[in-house]
Amino acid sequence: MKNEFSVVGKSVPRIDAYDKVTGRARYCRDLKLEGMLHAKLLRSPYPHARVKALDVSRAKSHPAVKAIATIEEVPKVVGYWWNLRTEKGMKKMFMQDNVVRFVGDPVLGVAAEDEDSAEEALSMILVQYEQLPPVFDPVESMKDQTIKIHERGNIAFHVLKEYGDIEKGFREADFVIENRFVTSKQKHATIEPIGSCIADYSPSGKLSVYSSTQLPHWSRMYLAGALGLPSSNVRIIKPYTGGAFGGRCGLIHGLELMCCHLSKKAGRPVKMSFTRKEDFEATEGRHPFLVELRTGFTKEGILTANSIKIVMDVGAYATHYIGVIADALSTGVGLYRIPHVKFEGYCVYTNKSLNGAFRGYGNPQMNFAQESQMDIVAEKLGMDPIELRLKNYRGAGEIDPVFNEKILSCGLKECLFQGAEKIRWKKKSRRSSRRGKIRKGVGMSCLMHGTGARFGLPDPASAIVLINADGSVSLETAAADDGQGNKTGLVQIAAEELGIDWRKISVSDTDTDTTPLDGGTHGSRQTYCGGIAVRKAAAQAKKSVLVFASKHLNTPQNRLDIREGVIYDTKRPSLNISLADLMRKIQIEDLSLCEQIIGAATGVAPSMPPTYGAHFAEVEVDTETGGVRVLRLVGAFDVGKAINPAHIEGQIAGGEVMGIGYALTEGLVIENGKVMNSNFADYRIPRSCDIPRIDAVIVESHEPTGPFGAKGIGEATMIGTASAIANAIYDAVGVRMKELPITQEKILVALQSFNPP
Amino acid sequence: MARVNIKIKVNGKLQELGVEAHETLLDTLRERLGLLAAKYGCGDGECGACTVLVEGNATLSCLTLAAHVDGKDIETIEGLEQGSHLHPLQESFVEQGAIQCGYCTPGMIMSAKALLDKDADPSEEKVRRAISNNLCRCTGYEKPVKAILEAARRMRGEK
Repeated sequence: MKNEFSVVGKSVPRIDAYDKVTGRARYCRDLKLEGMLHAKLLRSPYPHARVKALDVSRAKSHPAVKAIATIEEVPKVVGYWWNLRTEKGMKKMFMQDNVVRFVGDPVLGVAAEDEDSAEEALSMILVQYEQLPPVFDPVESMKDQTIKIHERGNIAFHVLKEYGDIEKGFREADFVIENRFVTSKQKHATIEPIGSCIADYSPSGKLSVYSSTQLPHWSRMYLAGALGLPSSNVRIIKPYTGGAFGGRCGLIHGLELMCCHLSKKAGRPVKMSFTRKEDFEATEGRHPFLVELRTGFTKEGILTANSIKIVMDVGAYATHYIGVIADALSTGVGLYRIPHVKFEGYCVYTNKSLNGAFRGYGNPQMNFAQESQMDIVAEKLGMDPIELRLKNYRGAGEIDPVFNEKILSCGLKECLFQGAEKIRWKKKSRRSSRRGKIRKGVGMSCLMHGTGARFGLPDPASAIVLINADGSVSLETAAADDGQGNKTGLVQIAAEELGIDWRKISVSDTDTDTTPLDGGTHGSRQTYCGGIAVRKAAAQAKKSVLVFASKHLNTPQNRLDIREGVIYDTKRPSLNISLADLMRKIQIEDLSLCEQIIGAATGVAPSMPPTYGAHFAEVEVDTETGGVRVLRLVGAFDVGKAINPAHIEGQIAGGEVMGIGYALTEGLVIENGKVMNSNFADYRIPRSCDIPRIDAVIVESHEPTGPFGAKGIGEATMIGTASAIANAIYDAVGVRMKELPITQEKILVALQSFNPP
Repeated sequence: MARVNIKIKVNGKLQELGVEAHETLLDTLRERLGLLAAKYGCGDGECGACTVLVEGNATLSCLTLAAHVDGKDIETIEGLEQGSHLHPLQESFVEQGAIQCGYCTPGMIMSAKALLDKDADPSEEKVRRAISNNLCRCTGYEKPVKAILEAARRMRGEK
């Protein structure tokens, strides 16, 4: 197909590539401010305890120590931007007490002239703890009436939703199957560890915080609310960020607020950077799910009923939790046309480090359960797993019951067909002889994932387009780029709309003082939500340009357009003026005008279009060792329109590889509240040698509400990888692995009980 | 605390420094010389974000004491550009879209350079092995591997 666009759809290089490839890019950890102090946290050695007494006198007399702030002074964040909507919500957003609820929960922070002194001072502090009984298992925690992790009990949230009549659905079924699935606590494991910031609290009341947050504007409001400052006095500056994936989707437990308090006390900037161990032990991870699924279906392969019960381990504090369990509805309810569904979920506190946002939110967990279940259904019916999906998926034109919205674009069928062809599904599926030491198999899964958050949360996006006197353009947006490349994508969208060279556009730094309200980088939303705002702002700027051009060229405005930086009459192209010439005239040359062209847009996106996708995996299982080698992955995704295909390929490969980790190796091991694998030797993320060939298939269904047809991609790419790998393992060796990660040991145990010697 | 005087060549420039006996090369580069491209990722030698070249060998600077590299030749990514010309590895990483967050990039490129300086025509398998100590959470290694193979072709003078 001919590309009707000049720069949309082209793999232009990233705008930050030069900085990053020369080592010039500065991340939070690289920054230094004049007079800056360094902070360290004293963390609890107990999973549950009350701090009875603190003796900080010796530490205070350490000559390098400039400030100490304790658990009783610094609030903890127990909410997210949903809370910002009301006064009452804001009050519930923070809590303050003297109880520590997991091993690693901060007790106090010390700011000193250097890190070593801060560390030394920590050893001079005496803490008297009253140990409280802990509870680690969420199911036990739900039932336990004696141990209360929080005042209002251990169930943070309970949801029960029914669609149709579940009993009727089961009556209509020829078969009913029941299975239980368990998922792990995956860590974001960004290569720049989570947790680095500098707070500079000026005595004048202005607070500047350098932070690699995904949510500059929400973080600003959180801090303003917690510290009683007007938002205008709080400035969040986001330097380059070494990966986020949801791990920086809010204030970090024990980080920014602590630094603000310390900086206020000391009257100097305070920097704190967590070690890798602190990141593993005390920052958010992916919520482990326990999913009980009961699914009814007819002998023709039509799903009639799905009963879903989820127990979700929130950890010690709840930040992101309601939204996470709600996202399980995407695969659980939205993806397939199941008339009768019962969805029940419990978000439960335990005395373990907290869980929060992570690529896919609650969707990868639910996907593992649902898509394994679909494979079991297909097996039971002797039906091809793809055929089963084709019979049941909800397509364009249908109403998505979760958002109660019509689906306007759905390329799932193309994803299935193209992905199947790439991996040669027909030749390989259900062909394993299940004999011999090494056995091969293939598996697949489907997914859908909404773009953005408008149906659940405040979800604004804004942009300002300034056309300068030389025809170059400054784009002001708070769309945080954590490495995905969304800023480059936004430049392409602005360039396409304006009709100018993308190289003439520069994007502002992510700084809340100079950029308008934005909902942050999460929910695969920036290309779509940010892109809509940027396109609107650019369109407005273009319109203003054409008003001036019409006067200048003495031709009707509706006959004018801009291409390659030249404004021209579409009926008579020889009548034209370059954007640069016109801008110089109206902004500088004509003393009676002196007007800059400014386009601005703000608001919420019109929809939350689902991205669809299909994952295919081919694996090899060594039946003697239980070892799994992933031989090949294919990820096919309907992205609406690929604004920058290379970026999308990058997302697909990165997501698939993160999914390999989720499937086979990744999960924090926590024993009696202590994390046993807080380093990369024991917590294994995939390395370059572990990676098979990965094929990225891009399907473009054109989303009518999206900028040039685009919708999200970031999260979708890892949502179904683990499911596809688990199904491939089953295909290879005939054992159904229902617990992540699928380690060698688990496979060996399963094979032994399957094939008794 | 014990201090040690060392002479090292960093990106071709001789540096005479007094360092702590327990100081890592990563700290020396970052704190004393202001060379911030080599990153802290784990401090345990497990992620490779701190990789620099010592006498041409890819070395984990977080596990290397500065005192131990006395008299040695150190290269960091800051020294790769020749004038305003990017090194073929840098060029190729930009063009192939092999960079996302960029935090692992300096270490990964230095590991790749150590390989290409010794082996002008490595197999893909060799490339994967050369960067197997450089963890990346964004790219899935697909594009970096392609970029390194492409850079090797360019350095051999092939189109």
